[in-house]
Amino acid sequence: MNRVDFKNIIHAEELKAKNAPTKHKIFVCCGAGCISSGADNVMKKLQEEIKNRGLEDIEVVPTGCMGPCNQGPLVKFKPGNTVYQKIDCVNIGEVVKSQIVDKKPLEDLLLFSEHREKPFVNAEEDPYFKKQLKIALKDCGDVHPEKIEDYLLHDGYKALDKALFEMSPEDVISEIKQSRLRGRGGAGYPTGLKWETVYRHVNDQKYIICNGDEGDPGAFMDRSVLEGNPHRILEGMTIAGYAVGANKGYAYIRGEYPLAIKRFEAAIKAAKKLGVLGKNILGTNFSFDVEVRIGAGAFVCGEETALIASIEGRRGTPSPRPPYPAESGLWGKPTLINNVETMASIAPIILKGGEWYSEIGTAKSAGTKVFALAGKINYAGLIEVPMGTTLREIVFDIGGGIQGDGQFKAAQTGGPSGGCIPAEHLDVKMDYEELMKLGSIMGSGGLIVMDENSDMVDVARFFMEFCVDESCGKCVPCRVGTKMMHDLLQKVCENKATQLDIERLEELAVYVKECSLCGLGGSAPNPLLSTLRHFRHEYDTRVQPVRKSENLVHQ
Amino acid sequence: MMALVTIYIDGKKIIAGSEKTILEVARENNIEILTMCHLKGLTDVGACRLCMVELEGSPKLFSACTTKVADNMIVTTNSERIRRYQRITTELFFAERNHICAVCVSNGACELQDLGYKVGLDAIRYPHLFPQCEVDTSHPLYVMDQNRCISCSRCIRACAEVEGAYNWDMMNRGYQIRVISDFNTLWGESTTCTSCGKCVQACPTGALWAKSIVQGQQDKHPEFITDLMERRKMNL
Amino acid sequence: MNKKKLATVWLGGCSGCHMSLLDIDERILEVAKLADIVKSPVVDGKDFPEVDIALVEGSVTSDEHLAELLHIRKNTKTLIAFGDCAAMTNVTGMRNYFDLKDVFETSYVNSISNDQEGEVPDNPYLLRLHDKVLPLQECVPVDFVIPGCPPNADTIFYVLFEFLNDRTPNLSEAKKLKYG
Repeated sequence: MNRVDFKNIIHAEELKAKNAPTKHKIFVCCGAGCISSGADNVMKKLQEEIKNRGLEDIEVVPTGCMGPCNQGPLVKFKPGNTVYQKIDCVNIGEVVKSQIVDKKPLEDLLLFSEHREKPFVNAEEDPYFKKQLKIALKDCGDVHPEKIEDYLLHDGYKALDKALFEMSPEDVISEIKQSRLRGRGGAGYPTGLKWETVYRHVNDQKYIICNGDEGDPGAFMDRSVLEGNPHRILEGMTIAGYAVGANKGYAYIRGEYPLAIKRFEAAIKAAKKLGVLGKNILGTNFSFDVEVRIGAGAFVCGEETALIASIEGRRGTPSPRPPYPAESGLWGKPTLINNVETMASIAPIILKGGEWYSEIGTAKSAGTKVFALAGKINYAGLIEVPMGTTLREIVFDIGGGIQGDGQFKAAQTGGPSGGCIPAEHLDVKMDYEELMKLGSIMGSGGLIVMDENSDMVDVARFFMEFCVDESCGKCVPCRVGTKMMHDLLQKVCENKATQLDIERLEELAVYVKECSLCGLGGSAPNPLLSTLRHFRHEYDTRVQPVRKSENLVHQ
Repeated sequence: MMALVTIYIDGKKIIAGSEKTILEVARENNIEILTMCHLKGLTDVGACRLCMVELEGSPKLFSACTTKVADNMIVTTNSERIRRYQRITTELFFAERNHICAVCVSNGACELQDLGYKVGLDAIRYPHLFPQCEVDTSHPLYVMDQNRCISCSRCIRACAEVEGAYNWDMMNRGYQIRVISDFNTLWGESTTCTSCGKCVQACPTGALWAKSIVQGQQDKHPEFITDLMERRKMNL
Repeated sequence: MNKKKLATVWLGGCSGCHMSLLDIDERILEVAKLADIVKSPVVDGKDFPEVDIALVEGSVTSDEHLAELLHIRKNTKTLIAFGDCAAMTNVTGMRNYFDLKDVFETSYVNSISNDQEGEVPDNPYLLRLHDKVLPLQECVPVDFVIPGCPPNADTIFYVLFEFLNDRTPNLSEAKKLKYG
């Protein structure tokens, strides 16, 4: 298929959508959260309901995550953007009757109805959505993840078309550089710079890898994009391939996400059929193929060198850098590795320009960031906000505050690699630098909110336990150091530790941080260090001043 | 022709080939950098983290065995911080498995013991983990004692890179990793082991030893691996 | 000059360290010039008085050892962990990889050398073993450690002589570190 055919297809789809009589579309959120609260059954029941009422011209679309996961299952009616929450097989009938037949919204079931004096009929007007800016997640919740035509109607593959026909690879790279986009996997390395490095390495064979090995406890950003809008990732990867001169891409998706794998594979198939992937894309000389690689459940495989080892079929352990993958990566070839969320931001940047993107966010961190809100918060779920949004806005304005009568105590960002932010820093502007200053990290975007009942030492112990389990065992500081720190933290939790143990913990934490081979060990002490920094008294009050005989046995 | 670079290690000016690692250059110039997983001739993996050095201009530490020299690099190998970390690494080695020198074949000729002496280790300040470990005596000539293994992977690399037999590998994760023969079967039943004994020579501790040996008598010659690899290189 | 008071104690160990102490041979006279050995397995005396220096051999394996060690710590200025068992449990700690129950069964019931049916002794007057053997430092603060199984007589004498002359020995600098 050449460019003209492609434009014709898009045109035809647009025409079809435009000329169709204004009809209702019902979107059922089939994100992970809603499925686990019964969206599948709601979907079936809804289809039955529509058939029984003779409303066959209404289209029911299963979509990716809409955001407020713990209010699910969610059902959205268009036009009007009316979202209903906590839908089950019983009340779905009422909703359809009220919304479609009586044309009167059913207030009791509107989104956030229990917390708003007057819930919004158009959900987009709710502060929950108004405070957000969706770029990476934009079409999640609006497109059918398994229908490429649906994606085409949402500017799908237009960015690829623009890159291939109107831009040189250098143009694409400079656009990304101008956007000031930084790696969304956690470390925040400038994406444009990374692309440029790979581009500069001359080699017949280069690779693109999309890192979808999202392993932080409580994080599901990548999952939602992969499940909700896989074509966006595919488009981002293809543009990356064109820019750096790669003809092969791998999407490394963790095995715990079977739906993401299924949808991504379906997307690859559909894209190849349409001609936006594979040989001679849109009739050009550029060919790009993508394969899915499934992770086997190792957190460390999110580390780029370990991920490469895993794709190569070796034991997933990291190796020292340099050489960086950009120079010698997959099978020794220059390799570009970007996180799912980074890849999802590429197409909008190409379409709207780097300048547009760079104006969002803060001076050093441009654009938006997806956070997975979890913990003791009213509206747990997936949000996307401009960089520089304060933690207070995220927790209270968007997240709806703390559950029940609870008080905000701390928020853990960056999962097991991050740290806790205490209440006195609620006004921190969330970007890479500010979080680093507080001893935490942006990480991939997990954000766990804790109330006054949370035991911070136990939080540190929990994350350390995770790191002990997930350490690959290659280097000594991480392999033995995390285990030692965990055992000592356990001792503190059991009120058996002495001052000596706290000193040992402090010494080990810095040692493991500085000496570990990869980022897993390098960041494993962060929860410990940040709780020691912000909640020192919780450690001190548990330390035994004098050794009592029953406290001696350490195991 | 290899490009030459000037570097400074602990204040000493050295001209070296740019393809070399900091460790190679330091050793050639009689500057001691402690190592455990490094064995000249085998691929370096940077696993033991003993050879960490400071590079001026970076707050991070770098493993000397895997970091190549660069022009005007200023390397510090013996700062207070480096020495403190070397000691902790050594302590963690001892605390991780069950190193009982008194009953070990390698007592007196053990790289781990020597390391302890070099860093001035008189006691281990961390609680020992005391894991329960297997001893595989099924091989007719050799024994693998997990109690004494420090997971440096020298045996694995010697077997793969020198002998080409690929008998050894790692299994599990974290502190539960174990060196395994074939797919975690008995060494004596291995279909890949050639009984060449290179792994035994490569092993820095008493984890791999010859059956005929009694306590304190295992004398190892890892330099034979280095020698062998250099000769092969020359033949090429 | 006031003579110092010296004690040597034997907890969970094999007494090999004490044998090595005896190997300082005639140098014991030099020690005797500077110190009185007031408590030791090799001298009379039931009580542990206040002392300047205590050499403690062996690890803490039972409640009795623990009580003894706490008493020693209270009454000692310089407590020296004497030998590998005291420093890092060594051979004594080899039972730490197993359940205490299995250790008893193996020793008293299933032992190959048993010529008749054995049973695990259960007498209130016997010491109560802890689940895990611990080195001294996990129980009380330790001032100095002499590793070695056993430490050399030279090393022992060096450490004693330095402390008796109010100097702090340094095994690493003196090239006297030895394990096993």
